Amino acid sequence: MDTATSSSPSLALGIDTGGTYTDGVLLEYQSRRVLASHKSLTTKRDFSIGIERVIEGIHLEDPSAIQMVSISTTLATNAIAEGKGKRVALLLIGYDPDLIATFKMESHFATPNFYFFAGGHDLYGREKAGLDLPAILAKVNEIKDRVDAIAVSSYFSPLNPEHETRVYQAVSSVCDLPIVLGHQLSTKLGSVERATTAALNASLLAVLQDFVIAVRRAMERRQIDSPLMVVRGDGTLMSDEFAARTPVETIHSGPAASAIGGHFLSGLDDALVVDVGGTTTDIALVDAGQVTVSEEGATVGDYKTAIKAANLLSIALGGDSHIALNQAKEITIGPERVTPLAYLATQYPNVAQRLKALSRRTWAQATPDWLEYWFLLREPQDGLLRTTQEKALVDLLRAGPKPVPEILQRLDVWHVTQVGAHELLRQEVIGKAGLTPTDLMHIEGRYEVWETEASSLAWTVFCHSQFQEPEALRPQVWSRMSEMIVHAILTFLSGKTLHLSKGQGSSDRDDDIGRWFFYNSLYHTHPKLETHIRLRQPIIGIGAPAGIFLPDVAAAFHTDLILPEHHQVANAVGAIAGSVMVEEELLIYPHLSRSGLEVLGYYVQASDERHEFEGLDEALARARALSRERAFGAALRSGADNPQVAIEELTEGLDTYRIRAKAIGNPRLTR
Amino acid sequence: MELVRVDTQRAYQAIREQITTLELAPGSPINEQRLAEDLDMGLAPVREALKLLAHEGLVVIPPRHGLYVADVNLPDLEQLSEMRLTLESLSARLAAQRATPDDLVVLDALRQEQAATPVEDSHRLFDVDHKFHQAIARAAHNKYLANALERFFGLSQRLWYLALPHLGFLPSAVEKHLDLAEAIKAGDADRAEQIMHSHVQDFYDKVREVLTEPR
Repeated sequence: MDTATSSSPSLALGIDTGGTYTDGVLLEYQSRRVLASHKSLTTKRDFSIGIERVIEGIHLEDPSAIQMVSISTTLATNAIAEGKGKRVALLLIGYDPDLIATFKMESHFATPNFYFFAGGHDLYGREKAGLDLPAILAKVNEIKDRVDAIAVSSYFSPLNPEHETRVYQAVSSVCDLPIVLGHQLSTKLGSVERATTAALNASLLAVLQDFVIAVRRAMERRQIDSPLMVVRGDGTLMSDEFAARTPVETIHSGPAASAIGGHFLSGLDDALVVDVGGTTTDIALVDAGQVTVSEEGATVGDYKTAIKAANLLSIALGGDSHIALNQAKEITIGPERVTPLAYLATQYPNVAQRLKALSRRTWAQATPDWLEYWFLLREPQDGLLRTTQEKALVDLLRAGPKPVPEILQRLDVWHVTQVGAHELLRQEVIGKAGLTPTDLMHIEGRYEVWETEASSLAWTVFCHSQFQEPEALRPQVWSRMSEMIVHAILTFLSGKTLHLSKGQGSSDRDDDIGRWFFYNSLYHTHPKLETHIRLRQPIIGIGAPAGIFLPDVAAAFHTDLILPEHHQVANAVGAIAGSVMVEEELLIYPHLSRSGLEVLGYYVQASDERHEFEGLDEALARARALSRERAFGAALRSGADNPQVAIEELTEGLDTYRIRAKAIGNPRLTR
Repeated sequence: MELVRVDTQRAYQAIREQITTLELAPGSPINEQRLAEDLDMGLAPVREALKLLAHEGLVVIPPRHGLYVADVNLPDLEQLSEMRLTLESLSARLAAQRATPDDLVVLDALRQEQAATPVEDSHRLFDVDHKFHQAIARAAHNKYLANALERFFGLSQRLWYLALPHLGFLPSAVEKHLDLAEAIKAGDADRAEQIMHSHVQDFYDKVREVLTEPR
C-alpha cells in the first residue's frame, strides 16, 4: 500500500448541485474508492438545505476525518439564465459607441447599464486617447446607489491594463462597491467578450459569496473542518476564495464534473460521456484522458464570454422532462422540467385517488391536461402576492395539489397564461407536476422509489386519450428520447445542424438527405440501402436514468455503453477527481516608436506587472521564468499540493507572443 | 486581507459596523454564540473576525475571561489623537508633494460629493469624510503610512458616532476640505499640513467635550 505512512484514510466529500438533484459521494482519496453516496432534491431557493441533507444522508462516522470538500454548482449558469444576478454598471473605456450600435452589440453586455468613456490602448499597447477620469467619477457618483457592482473593460487592456488599473484606483477611492477588471479575467483581445465576462463576473460576485458562505455554514454544522474547493467550467478545481472572486469561471462546472467523473470511474481515456440528469442531458468528450475544452469561450444564455469551459452540449431532456401533447396533438418530451407524478403522489396521498377517479371517466372527459398538477412548494414571503389572482391561486393550492383544468375553472379563466402565475413559478412558490419518463420507469419497475400506482393511472389516461394501449405507447416514448439524444450527439461531434422536423431550417432542401440518412440509420427503413452511423469511441453513461435511456443510443451508434459502478453519482465523484489548476498567460509584444516604424524594445505584460527588454529573446526568457513563478505561486495559494508547471508558447502574428504557464496539482488535503 | 475566508470577511464587516455605530456599546461583553446566530454565520468565521477586530483595537480579548467591546476613555482618546494628528498632518504634507493628476481628480470628486450631500445624511457625510482622508493618504504614496492610519480608523469612526449628536462643525469641515484640496493641488506642503492639523484637532476637541460632559 502506498498510503502506509498515514494511519487513517484521507476522506474527501464531493457534492454536485444540479438542476434537479444534489448528489454527494464520500471517497477514499488515495485508493479512489467510493465509500458512500446519497442523492437529495436540489433546493434552489437555498442550496445549502439540499447540501446539508446530502451530508446527513452519507452518515459520516467521523466528520473530522474529511480532508476536503469539493463542490460543483449550476448556480452561476442558472443565475445568468434566469436574470438573477446583481445589478452591474459596466464602464467601457475606449470603446466606439457607434461601432457597438452598428453591430447591435448592446444586448451582448449582460447589463443594461453600460457607459462609454474616452481612453483605451491600441494594438501595440499605446495609449489611444487620454483617460477621462473626471467623467468616470461623475458617472459613478450618479449611479452608485442604483447598482451592486462595477465592471470595467478598457480597449486592448490585456496588452496594457493601465487605464483599467487607474479606474480601479480612482473608483475604489470614491465608493465601496466591488469592482471587476476585464484584464484580470481574460487575456484575449476580443473587447466585447471581455466586457461581457467582466459584467457577468460582477453580477455573480455576491451570488457565489452567499453560496460559499452557505456551504461553509452547512459544513460547520456537520462538524466538517476542511478546505472547500469549487469546480471550474473546465473541470479543474479552485479554492473557495478564488471562486468567490471569479464566479464566472464556475459556468458549466456541473457538466464538466460529470465528464471528469465518468473518465475517473471508467478508467477510459477516450470516450463520449453522456450525463442524463433530471432536467438536462449533457454531452462531453474525453480525449487522451482529458475533458476537451472549448478555447472559444463559454456561451451561457445569450452571452458569449471569454471563459474557457468544457466543450459540451446540453439539451433540455432528462428523467423529469414533461411528457405532454403539443398543439398538433403530437407527444412531446421536455423541454420543461416538472415534478414526477409518482413523487407528488408520495407527498400528497389524495393525488392517487384523484387519478383513479379520472381513469374511470370517459376519454373525452379525461384529457391529458388533467394530468398536469400545480402545487404549493412553500408559503410565499410577505409582499410577493401582488394581484388578487395570485392570492386566490395560493389559497386554492393550500388545500393540496390541483389539476390545471380545475384551477382554470376555479379562477374563472380560459387559459393558463391568464392565471398570471409566472412570478410564483419562477420564485418556486408554486411547482408543476406531470407525467415524466421517471413515471414510466416506475411503471416498468426499473426505478421504484415513489408511488407507482399514480404513474400507472396517469399513463393509462394519457394513452386512452391517444387511443393507444399503454404497453404499445411506452416504447414510442423511449425511442423518441433516444432519437433526441442520438441527434444531439451527432450535432455535437459533427458541429453541423440537422433539423428533424420539416420547415424548421432555412435550407430545407439540404436537410432532406440528412434527415433520410438519420432515420434510415436508426430504423433501417429502406429496403435496399443500408446506412449506419458508427461512433469509434464507447459511450460512458452517467446519471440515474442512463442505464435506461442509453442502451438504445449506444446501439444506434454501434458502440459499447459503459456504465461504471457509481455512475449514478459520477458528477459528484468528478467534483473531487479534478486537479487544482491555475493558468498564467503573459503577452510579449513590441514597443513601437510613435511613428510606428521603429521597434524600441519588447514588453512582457502580466495582469499586474509589465517589464521592458531590449531584445526579443531576453523578453521571452524572462516571460517563461515569470509565468512559471506566477502560476506556481497562484496554484499553491489556490490549494494545490506540489503543483507541476507546463509552459506553452503561441505566436499571434504582429510580432506578438503568448507564454502560457499551467500549474496543475492534486488538491492539498488537511491532515 | 486578500486570503481571509469569504465568510470571515463578511462576519468582520458586520461586527465592525455594529461596534463602530455603537450598536454594540463600548465596554459591553460579547457572546460569540449569540453573535453567530444573529448574523446567521458559523462560529468559526465569527471567532476569526473577532481576532481581526482585536488587532484593530475595537475588541479586547483578555486571557481566560470573556471578550468585550473596547471601552472609550479619556486617556485612550489622548493617545489616539496624538497619533492621528501627527500621521494625518504628515499624510497631507506628502500628498501636497506627491499627488498625481489622478489623485487630484479623486479629491475633487469627493469634495464635490461632500458639498452635495445634505447635512441630515450624517452617515453618508461621515463616509465621504473618511474617503477624503483615505484619498489623501493614498495621494501621499506611502503604503505604511496609509496602513497605519487605516488600522486605527475603526476607533476614530466609533468616536465620530459617539460625538455625532453634538457635531455642529460639519459645514466648517466642508470648507476645510476645500482649502485642503486646494493646498494639495497647489503643492503647498506647509499649508496642507497646517490645515489638516487644525481639522483633526477640532474633531478631537469635540469628542473630548462629549466625553467630559456629565452623563
